[in-house]
Amino acid sequence: MRHVRSVLAVLTVLALLAGVGLAQKTLTIARPTDPVSLDPHFETTAPGSWVFSQILEPLITVNQDMEIEGRLATDWEFIDDTRLRFTLRQGVTFSDGTPFDAEAVKYTWDRAWDEERPGRWKSLAGPVEGVEIVDDYTVDLVAAQPYGPLLLTATMPYTGIVSPTAAEELGDDFGRQPVGTGPFTFVEWRANDRITLEANDDYWGGRPNLDRVVFRTIPEEGARMLSLRAGEVDMVLMPTPSDLPALESDPNFVVEGAPGVGVFYLAFNLDRDAVADVRVRQAVAHAIDRELIVEAILEGGGVLATSVIGEPVFGYKDMELLERYPYDPERARELLEEAGYARGSDGFMVDENGDRLVLELLPSNGRSLKDREIAETLQEFLRQAGIDVEMDIFEWATTFELMRGATLDYDLNSFTWFTTTADADYTMYSNYVSTELPPASWNRWRYANDDVDEWLKAARASLDMDEREELYHRVQDQLAHDLPAIPLYGSYEVAALRANVEGFVAHPIQYLLDLHPVDIVD
Amino acid sequence: MFSYLIRRILIAVPLLLGVVFIVIASFDLVPGDPAALILGEFATESAVAELRAELGLDRPLLVRYADTVVNLLQGDLGRSLTERRPVAVILGETFPLTAQLAGAAIALVLLVGIPLGLIAAMRPGSWIDNVIRVVSLAGLSMPVFWTGLVFMVIFSVNLGITPVSGTGTWRHLILPSVTLALPSIAVIARMTRSTVLEVLREDFIRTARAKGISERSVLVKHMLRNAMIPIVTVLGLQLGQMLGGAVLTETVFAWPGVGRLTVFAIFNRDYPLMQGVVMVLAMVYVGVNLLVDLSYGLFDPRVRYA
Repeated sequence: MRHVRSVLAVLTVLALLAGVGLAQKTLTIARPTDPVSLDPHFETTAPGSWVFSQILEPLITVNQDMEIEGRLATDWEFIDDTRLRFTLRQGVTFSDGTPFDAEAVKYTWDRAWDEERPGRWKSLAGPVEGVEIVDDYTVDLVAAQPYGPLLLTATMPYTGIVSPTAAEELGDDFGRQPVGTGPFTFVEWRANDRITLEANDDYWGGRPNLDRVVFRTIPEEGARMLSLRAGEVDMVLMPTPSDLPALESDPNFVVEGAPGVGVFYLAFNLDRDAVADVRVRQAVAHAIDRELIVEAILEGGGVLATSVIGEPVFGYKDMELLERYPYDPERARELLEEAGYARGSDGFMVDENGDRLVLELLPSNGRSLKDREIAETLQEFLRQAGIDVEMDIFEWATTFELMRGATLDYDLNSFTWFTTTADADYTMYSNYVSTELPPASWNRWRYANDDVDEWLKAARASLDMDEREELYHRVQDQLAHDLPAIPLYGSYEVAALRANVEGFVAHPIQYLLDLHPVDIVD
Repeated sequence: MFSYLIRRILIAVPLLLGVVFIVIASFDLVPGDPAALILGEFATESAVAELRAELGLDRPLLVRYADTVVNLLQGDLGRSLTERRPVAVILGETFPLTAQLAGAAIALVLLVGIPLGLIAAMRPGSWIDNVIRVVSLAGLSMPVFWTGLVFMVIFSVNLGITPVSGTGTWRHLILPSVTLALPSIAVIARMTRSTVLEVLREDFIRTARAKGISERSVLVKHMLRNAMIPIVTVLGLQLGQMLGGAVLTETVFAWPGVGRLTVFAIFNRDYPLMQGVVMVLAMVYVGVNLLVDLSYGLFDPRVRYA
């Protein structure tokens, strides 16, 4: 009898263990590419951030409603206009047992400011000089001059605090097995195949609902969507837009999306005579049916852009482009006539020598959703308004190198710009201040307007958010008239999920993926 | 035979060095700066210049080549610029996966392609010959990414008997290896058919039959051995191609092999990684060709290695 009992006891334990095994909640996520590293020191793209931001946490973050929330900091305030003071969360330890304190924060920022090997995200942090320790649980983030975007800079996921012990010990290998304080810890990385994370039982914010997260690399679009349908993955990041309507109407799946901070635009190079005249640029704007591009080509993968920065970005203002420049090829021709062109016999506009108006286009290719298809469509739109377009399509590495060159031998180019910090300064300053020229910076349109320069410099230096917002609105009004670039579509951050995945909310910032509240229910 | 082997292996050394030079030089000609690509769209010019110096990209071509050769002779393949890991480690992870896939595919080619060709050749013009010819033409004409997706829909989504993609179990190997083998099966089947038909018309077959040797013996000993030489040559080329990484199949089935590594290395301008991949590719071709040459002796005793 006693034997029977002990056998029963063993069986019960085994059954319980099996039960636990079965109840393991694993969320499998498919996305197109593997990161190159899981160390923000070397990797600042979305595929990297999706993973390392589960492991490494910054002091503060922006939530899906674009509000600032504390992570490793519980409180923050400006103590003067170059100094932002953070009160750190106490009692937090890294998953390797190292205690989290002011030293760890300083170590992380110092690491990126290393003279020999600066972190990839250093250039995104503007005039920040680094972190100063006030006491064990208080640090100051210090800028060289008054810097309005300082608070949003501290929300960048790249600033996730690393375990100093692990970073010292592992060196370059830290990027293959990062150690932080986040809701998940690193388990395994099989290159180009899968990255596995597991729940951090001791997470200060409470253990996550999921036991494991597996990031799978599935490069082929069709295969990614089929994996979701076959139940092999639970979530697809960057799903195929044309598949979304079918998924939305299927009760087994859910589509979660949010308008993003990226804007895809057609940009002019104002150094080139052909597009130096604002009337020509305005004619181009009238020649393009932007709504049709969004509907017919993007199929829900993007939203109509209303400004050179995305709607969730601080400082955004609707530039009212549809009202100012409605699709009207005839109006485009009239503007070109005002600019000195005449209607040629073959339908194309000609200059005073009888030469056809030809614009050269260097389109983004293989970097943004449907960029090549959009380029071909733009070419056709412009031709219908009498503007001939010649374009050079290269693979991305070549296109990118040409675009960031000191001179750009094209009248037009297309590109997506993400306002990574969600603060207008990030995009406006580097793109529109007249001295921020390539290759050092990003004013690729060679735009120069003294008023805009002054407004953008004032907005950067001010800590008064209302004043800053007003200045950015003025800049956008000016850009709507000058049109150095025509915003075409705004990014739409979307994920397709199985219906039993709960608690996921898409984030406007592409590289932020909040998996802590996510759960799988039966 | 032994000295022949040694000689063939030694010849491979200058070949590999030449290959490395071509790789390094061709990267110099291709536009696209690896430092700018690694740093991403928002990097400053000075950061890019610093990284170029750190990676040694600011030094002249010949200096870089000499360095690479010295390192290679010491067995050091260098570190990947993007992944910051030793190239040898990365290749050690990816090559076995490609070898698995290629091995399974070539086994299918042998087990299916050659018998199909034989059956077709035995009854030329019959209905079965016609069926095999049409099917193999279809196998050749269907693009891999299309067959791959069709297989996924049928076997993974609808029937649920194989995983859609990825690696892990033997089940994961089924769809990609069949997809990869299909065009090769078609090539080998057609090749076998035509070679066998040709050999069957030879005088020595008629002589063998006239001597009264059993048909089975005629086919196996006289016909098949002679027909094998061209078949093995083509088979070797196919295997070399598969081992070099089946880019499309690996991409469709999310198979993290050499093919995808090659594409990754090219798009990221990762010179050391590209060198490593090309070296492996060159060695695979040298090795496979050597095996093919050695196998000739097996099928045709007149072949001598001196």
